[in-house]
Amino acid sequence: MSTSYLISASYTWGQFTPVFFLAGLAILLLLADAFLSRLSKQAFPLIAAIGCFLATCGMVTGPWKNPYGMLAAGSAALCLLLAFDYRTVVHASVAGGDREEGSGELSILMLLATAGVVALTRARDLIMLFVSLETITLSSYALAGYFRRNRGSVEAGVKYLVLGAVSTGILVMGIAWFFGTTGTFALTTRFEQAALSNPYLCIGFLLSLALLFVGIFFKAGAVPMHTWIPDVYQGSPTPVSAFLAVVSKLAGFAALVLLTLPLAEMHRISAGMLKPVMFALSIVTIATLLVGNLGAIPQQNIKRLLGYSSIGQAGFILVFFTGLRSSLRVDTLFYLLAYGLATLPLFFVIGQLRMQRGNETISIFRGLGKTNPRIAFLTAVCLASLAGVPLTAGFLAKLTSFRSALMSTMPGAPITSALMVVMVICATAGFYYYFKVLRVMYWEEPPEDDLKVHFSALSTGVLSLCVLGILVLGVCPMLF
Amino acid sequence: MTPLSHYLIFSGVLFSIGLTGAIIRRNILVVFMCLELMLTAANVALVGFSRAQGLEGVPVYDAQVMVLFIMAIAAAEVAVGLALIVAMFRARRGVESSSLTSLKD
Repeated sequence: MSTSYLISASYTWGQFTPVFFLAGLAILLLLADAFLSRLSKQAFPLIAAIGCFLATCGMVTGPWKNPYGMLAAGSAALCLLLAFDYRTVVHASVAGGDREEGSGELSILMLLATAGVVALTRARDLIMLFVSLETITLSSYALAGYFRRNRGSVEAGVKYLVLGAVSTGILVMGIAWFFGTTGTFALTTRFEQAALSNPYLCIGFLLSLALLFVGIFFKAGAVPMHTWIPDVYQGSPTPVSAFLAVVSKLAGFAALVLLTLPLAEMHRISAGMLKPVMFALSIVTIATLLVGNLGAIPQQNIKRLLGYSSIGQAGFILVFFTGLRSSLRVDTLFYLLAYGLATLPLFFVIGQLRMQRGNETISIFRGLGKTNPRIAFLTAVCLASLAGVPLTAGFLAKLTSFRSALMSTMPGAPITSALMVVMVICATAGFYYYFKVLRVMYWEEPPEDDLKVHFSALSTGVLSLCVLGILVLGVCPMLF
Repeated sequence: MTPLSHYLIFSGVLFSIGLTGAIIRRNILVVFMCLELMLTAANVALVGFSRAQGLEGVPVYDAQVMVLFIMAIAAAEVAVGLALIVAMFRARRGVESSSLTSLKD
């Protein structure tokens, strides 16, 4: 038992430099917000985006190399640019009118949450995992309810708070039982195997795993804890919805990877010990796929539709975990990259359309093919990638997911066959609901007085770059 | 000395009360108290385990450090949570979860 001290002391200060940089920048901006009253609040998201971008560059290679952290910081930079693009609504909703006070914290909270995500990707024990996960969650509560005069935003904040706190309670209980059965907080195969092969501790250890998974499923948006997603995406400010959809989901999956890799190692050494875990994960995956993809079909609100779509896509990512193979780390990263590249630009389009056409139903895309043919084409590529059309990154990601289910270590088991059938049904349903938006763009006649929607150079640029990324990854994935 | 199982049963009962309360109560403030109860239950279990894992009367302090982290984060959660509940009260003159119905399709 006393060896646990040796294991938990394996962090160095240096590997957390990007985290300190992001958190330090957040504190500096907080001071600037309080004392430099002449600094325009418009500068805050830009400075924060540049900081996130620098952190992304820093994590490409060298001592801070961290692919998950890179993807998180890069996506956060795009969310901050979206907050800049969306600033008129932010200013109007926070202080009322054109006044800017109180809108700087949006960028600061996003920076702090991003620092949490980058720290999470570096975690090697449950204490670090818990503290960084809560850094993200606490910032996200405030972000979801940021427009405090807006009923929808406050409601989203409260719903997120209640369900998030339930999941925190469950996660903490799981951590307690994990410690009780293994004697350490470190995520190592050796201690977990010892706990699992001891008949007295086996049940307690499986209980702790179940609680830990359920607590983290809240962030990843998988089935028992998915209920907040549609409501919170709909009610939150659009940049925050984008942040929750991409960065926060990435944090959930990074935590799941950390939790699952020791199990995958154990599965490689002695197959069969983890049958109950694999079975439970398969059930959760099937339920997530069905709820997300079938729930998306009747949706009329576009942010709600993207919420259900994010649950559905999480289902396809969870397929990697059901097999407990050690390739899940890379596969998950590629899927998240494809998902982020397609989802973030959609939020840019929604932000602009929402400002100029006044609501959030799918009909705001009406006639975009006629009024803004270029934007309509770029949006169409993003939707096609989410649905999984060949030659896009989304197709390859879905293909990896199907291949992973085929090569599952439980071939022929009824649960694996059921999973395959459900995946086919859900991929087909995806074509239906993503192409519903496409149909509105190209085949619905716009009213005569519909104006051309103005897109800022920033959103057009981000949209083009992301679409370029989708196509390049879809044609030659070896670049990944 | 009290055996470990007593602490675990106590913590399990606290956790169940908290979870049930969080699911069935309608007043957000009461729900919030139930959520704190769940965190407390985990703290009790952690301290119990820390004693039981220890050798010769010296507990494993890792778990007690974790308890401190949980308390700090619970305090931060209360600060953010009560702010949101106040905002909700201002927006709709009540803190019943049954009034949270404006977000739907």
